[in-house]
Amino acid sequence: MTDFMEISPGRHHGKRLYLACMLWFFGRAVQAAARVDDGVKSEFAAMPDNFTFCLGAFPSGPYMVVGKDAHGRVRHLGSSLADRTIHLHLMFKHPALLFRVFAFQENTPVANARNRLYVLGDVPQACAVVRIIDMVQVFLLPRFLAKRAVKRYPAWPLKRRTLIRAQVYARAFAGL
Amino acid sequence: MVIPDYYEFSSRALIMAGHDALEQIPGLLLSMDAQKPMVITDQGVRRAGLVDILLQALDSRITVKTIQDDVPADSDLKTVHTLAGEYKKYGCNAIIALGGGSVMDTAKGVNILVSASSDNLLAFSGANALTHTLNPLVAVPTTAGTGSEVTRVAVISDTDNLRKLLFTSDFLIPDAAILDPRMTLTLPAPVTAATAMDALSHAVEACLCLGRNPLSTAHAHEAIALISHNLLPVIRQPDHKPGRLALATGAALAGMAFSNSMVGMVHTLGHAAGSVCHAAHGACMAVLLPYGMVYNLHKTQPLLADLLLPMAGADVYARTQPADRAQKAIDWVDRMNQRLHQATAGAHAVCLREIKSQDGKSRVTGHLLPKIAHTALGDGSIFYNPEDLDYDDCLMVLEAAFDGAPLDPSRVKKG
Repeated sequence: MTDFMEISPGRHHGKRLYLACMLWFFGRAVQAAARVDDGVKSEFAAMPDNFTFCLGAFPSGPYMVVGKDAHGRVRHLGSSLADRTIHLHLMFKHPALLFRVFAFQENTPVANARNRLYVLGDVPQACAVVRIIDMVQVFLLPRFLAKRAVKRYPAWPLKRRTLIRAQVYARAFAGL
Repeated sequence: MVIPDYYEFSSRALIMAGHDALEQIPGLLLSMDAQKPMVITDQGVRRAGLVDILLQALDSRITVKTIQDDVPADSDLKTVHTLAGEYKKYGCNAIIALGGGSVMDTAKGVNILVSASSDNLLAFSGANALTHTLNPLVAVPTTAGTGSEVTRVAVISDTDNLRKLLFTSDFLIPDAAILDPRMTLTLPAPVTAATAMDALSHAVEACLCLGRNPLSTAHAHEAIALISHNLLPVIRQPDHKPGRLALATGAALAGMAFSNSMVGMVHTLGHAAGSVCHAAHGACMAVLLPYGMVYNLHKTQPLLADLLLPMAGADVYARTQPADRAQKAIDWVDRMNQRLHQATAGAHAVCLREIKSQDGKSRVTGHLLPKIAHTALGDGSIFYNPEDLDYDDCLMVLEAAFDGAPLDPSRVKKG
């Protein structure tokens, strides 16, 4: 066996770094939107306290973990699944499949319909999390990209499209 | 046909279909070393004498250890746990599920528990939570509708928490589906109509929704043709055995199709109406199907146009201008509902307010529509629908379907 050079499987470090950065910022944006947007607030309000969900790629990430604490406050909990009870997993079967979504080549419903992700946990809660993801994508992305990321671009009132969006961005950068 | 850049299709159930299919069960069970089955059924099936027909078809090599006929109209968690206990108590090694969708789903739930030697079904809920093969399960449908005899899905109610648990896994596909027209000969006309429209809704949604693929569409088109050409003749002549077999085959094909492509808003709203009002699933599907087609028309027009051929036949398809075929397919479903309404002396509902309980009371009432719309937002099938749906969209469709009013396509928000 020593006659042969050992070959390690290749890794797409650039894509992985891109996904880690996107998920990090996206998680902070979910936390921000949960503070300032009534639509996102109402979706979280229907979830139980001490509820945690993660979005990521099988088998080894990257991940985004978001939780609602005992006081009902929504927090971005980083990228580690260790020592946490995760109540809902939205897991893409490979980082390349998660990349398709975060590179706006495919929206989440289509990825789901093509068996690219699996859900472990309560289905109604998964539905609510996907709606939250859609709303945050609309906040973060310019219209031409958001239209590719969601099934239907929403007709939001001016305040939500401008003031609330600015607040989400500012809070996401500041980590508030 | 646009082939998706990736799709999956699986249908491993052995289909044994024919006028003497029941007689194949002993040999089948022996081949699986499963001579000690439990029969799971419901009291309606037993009263109709179908258990006796099944038992006559089994020979002395098979020992039915117990017959459990307490399955409710909506399969629920408590029943599953109780029956799993009976399975162990009688030392069974297989299940024969004899009934409609509720019996099938209950049997799948029992099989999960007894195969895993577990007493907690909740641990297996969700998508692909099962990781092992199950004990032999033979499905003998007594309706031609749910397709559950060939699907990888089970829906079981958690009545304590007022929710429906979804189980999906390839391991849930029964080992064999026995399609024998003797099992549906005594089905009353309104039930035949509603269950066949349920199967039609599976096939239509399998063709239109986001998870469609060439294999599911091929199954769905054939299902639509079989159901369309045989439903009214069977309603007029209930003992028409070839027609009954064609409907059973159509329902199984539709089951294979939607098990792989999943379903959309017709089922999203129908599941919610069933959950909130306990309205019969097939009746909800019949009423909601044309509304789902209209709602998604702007995104699925070419696909809908293709459905006119299996629905109405080659002559009508050829006579209709290509631009009009999609609308004609919607009209065809509407007209089928009207004909079934007439053929069943009004028992087949054409709007939600006409769906009645056994004592003749309306199951769906106007003040429950907001609750149904809210519940629908938590149904997983909503993601497979071509067009997005929010609370207002669900309520708009439900309000139109409640009175049987046409849905104005201009009110549909287009993405």
